[in-house]
Amino acid sequence: MTEFADMRSVYGDTLIKLGEQNPDIVVVGADTTDSLKTKPFGKKFPNRFFNVGIAEANLITIAAGLANEGKIPFASTYAAFLPGRCVDQIRNAIAYPSRNGKSGLNVKMVVSHGGLSVGPDGGSHQQIEDIAIMRVIPNVKVFVPADTIAVEKLTEIFSQVYGPCYMRLARSKTPVIHPKDQEFKMGKGIVLRDGSDCTIAACGITVSIALEAADALKQEGIACRVIDMFSIKPIDSELLEKAARETGGIVTCEEHNVMAGFGSAVAETISDTYPVPVKRIGARDQFGESARDNEIPLLLEKHGITSIHISNTVKSIRSQTR
Amino acid sequence: MALNYYHIFKRVKEARKLVIKGITVAGSGHPGGSFSMAEIMGCMYFKFLKYDPKNPLWVDRDRLVLSKGHASPGLFSNLAVAGFFDKSEMETLRKFGSKLQGHPDFKCPGVEFCGGSLGLGLSFSTGMALAARIDGKNHHIYTIIGDGESDEGQVWEAAMTGSKYRVDNLTVFLDRNFIQQDDYTERIMPLDEELIGDDISEMWKNAARWKVGDKWRSFGWNVLEIDGHRIEQIVKAVNSALQTKGTPSIIVSRTIKGKSVEHMEDNPKWHGVAPNPQISPIIDLELDCQYLISPSIIAGDMANLENEVKRAAHARADFIHLDVMDGMFVQNKTFDYEKIKQLRPITPIPFDTHLMINEPVKHVRNYVDAGCDIITIHAEVCDESSFGEIHDILRSNEVSVGLAINPDTELPPWSEKFIPDLDQLIIMSVIPGKSGQKYIESVHEKTQRIAKFLSERKFEGLIEADGGVDLSNVESCFLDGARVFVGGSAIIGQKDVRTTILEFRKKILHARRNLLIRKAHSLGGIELVNKWIDLHEVGKKKTELLQIAKEAGFA
Repeated sequence: MTEFADMRSVYGDTLIKLGEQNPDIVVVGADTTDSLKTKPFGKKFPNRFFNVGIAEANLITIAAGLANEGKIPFASTYAAFLPGRCVDQIRNAIAYPSRNGKSGLNVKMVVSHGGLSVGPDGGSHQQIEDIAIMRVIPNVKVFVPADTIAVEKLTEIFSQVYGPCYMRLARSKTPVIHPKDQEFKMGKGIVLRDGSDCTIAACGITVSIALEAADALKQEGIACRVIDMFSIKPIDSELLEKAARETGGIVTCEEHNVMAGFGSAVAETISDTYPVPVKRIGARDQFGESARDNEIPLLLEKHGITSIHISNTVKSIRSQTR
Repeated sequence: MALNYYHIFKRVKEARKLVIKGITVAGSGHPGGSFSMAEIMGCMYFKFLKYDPKNPLWVDRDRLVLSKGHASPGLFSNLAVAGFFDKSEMETLRKFGSKLQGHPDFKCPGVEFCGGSLGLGLSFSTGMALAARIDGKNHHIYTIIGDGESDEGQVWEAAMTGSKYRVDNLTVFLDRNFIQQDDYTERIMPLDEELIGDDISEMWKNAARWKVGDKWRSFGWNVLEIDGHRIEQIVKAVNSALQTKGTPSIIVSRTIKGKSVEHMEDNPKWHGVAPNPQISPIIDLELDCQYLISPSIIAGDMANLENEVKRAAHARADFIHLDVMDGMFVQNKTFDYEKIKQLRPITPIPFDTHLMINEPVKHVRNYVDAGCDIITIHAEVCDESSFGEIHDILRSNEVSVGLAINPDTELPPWSEKFIPDLDQLIIMSVIPGKSGQKYIESVHEKTQRIAKFLSERKFEGLIEADGGVDLSNVESCFLDGARVFVGGSAIIGQKDVRTTILEFRKKILHARRNLLIRKAHSLGGIELVNKWIDLHEVGKKKTELLQIAKEAGFA
């Protein structure tokens, strides 16, 4: 039986653990601290916790000011508003300022409610542009973890590695995919299934869908390589090149606009290293819409984000390359 | 500590010149907003900020965030004067590979915030202030925001946050120059009230119409409202802000865009345009031609000097001239430091104290303690050693240093070594001792000669004309090279001091315009004269200048 766990709770718990170890860690919120599970940090460390109200531009720029003074601010709210509402602030107050060999200011942007799986709140809140927005800003690193194990490890890494980082969490509980002792490194993908017939590269909640597809294909005798590409920038170009060379084709999957997002990042890398067919699955350049929790699979299906569609896409690539 | 008036004044002037130099070579940039905040920046870098140019990231330094980042030349020039980098680098402004980017950037040492996108600086500063609080640090954060910038909603998000978290280690200046890129602020997005008509000067002057302070007050801030070009008001406001606990402070500073260059003043066109290289030397001379009025209160009612100070302050005098006579160096006796101590609380306007006393070295400390901002000592009662001692006492108390000579005295040889550092030279044009004498004509020639001598010896201070200066001769005094004008019976002796001072200013302005027209003519003939005059688009300046040029035979 697959275990499901809540990314935001793990994020909040990890922050407290890190806050105990490192007095420089501060948390900034914008009236969503209950939802983001950062409120307990504020209870524990009231002097290192700031709730600026519904003011995301202010949130992110105050975080920049704190980082400028050596603090490690974790700024959190919903993806629709961060980056949605404050691209200018992220670019000019966080990513751009560089000195003494340090690129950008050390702000950690951790947001929830990324992608279509936000569900009931509807299209206004289903941020499907954030990966595109964040990955084109120089100096910003972009991560989309697949499960709570990844969230915990990445939050820890964020507190240790200098630089502006963005991490997108899902709203709903996610299946736990990784073992507790899984190692995570910035810029390194994790191969979850090995195979040489095709590669499925995924991020976030689509990793478990990719695994489903791979398992189904296996029944049909097609051995897919499945990679959790939680690190979108920096991207593991070595691993992708190897996959291209050894499997001959790549299917990408993301709950983000199929344009300019994760799949595009993979396609860019492959075209630079070892060009093979790359097929991208994601939101079809259309906004999302409301779907109750039990209907989220229907919404995803509308955009082809299903294990069946992945399987079919793998097959079409194979017919193309053979 | 006294104001350190001249220390700031000289550097403000130098910084303005560097702005013109940088922008002219770059061919683009923002002179208007650099000049409106010039005095604020001068007070910051040369009075309040604690910093170390050799160690720009010293953790305990004060931070200055220039949120209105387009005024970067106004920041870079001050950093250059403060010694963060060589002044000659101003010529690399906006050039490929330069540390002086179009907007403030960490590439330049001393820059605390990468400004450019407006509305961000106050939030950033709030983060800095909160971090300082977490760390128990005592440094202060200063932020300069623009009035056009205040259109940005984020400014008000930060205003609420500053109030909520009571960041009293943060002080904001609002550079209220009434002009943004497109037009006057009150036309684009009124902060006070919508502008009807074309004349912003009325709104600038009429305090009843300012509402932006009320906006900040309603956000929970400590609001101070000042004339942002008057050093003493800036200093007073910052001191008050630093003493205010439990709330952040904002100093709403009424300023003039392009201040100090007539054709740029109040003209929205000069928000972001570079001067023509042909015009720059004229601007440079104009910056050397700033003038100050120093009414001498002993020409009034000696029994009620308090009232005379008030009259001078009400009339917006630049200095208050205090003639101290001891009955020995001169026959008359006026008052001493005890009286000055009583007068001091009346106004923050600099006390320009002229000591006509014997053995000044014995008494000067009393005058420092009484609150004088500028103290001028007679050369006749000093030698190198006693003046050196006085000089050091004054400097260590941030009092500006003046030297005075009588009509029949020349600068003594020992004074030469002090010239580069001297703030003020009073050239007496009457026999000192009593008010109401006539200007001694031969002093015109003497002043011209000394002005030339001083300029060859790196004098950066101002010459003060003192004695018999009135509306009939103030223009000649200006053309001689004097820049500060003491007025006794001609100012304080008049019924309406305010109008009289305005008339003095008008006269001096006339002389200055004359001088600048001549300069333009010497550089580029009638063509340049016309070109320069054409720049004066706002108000009646152009017509008035054409008249002067005609009179001078240049148009």
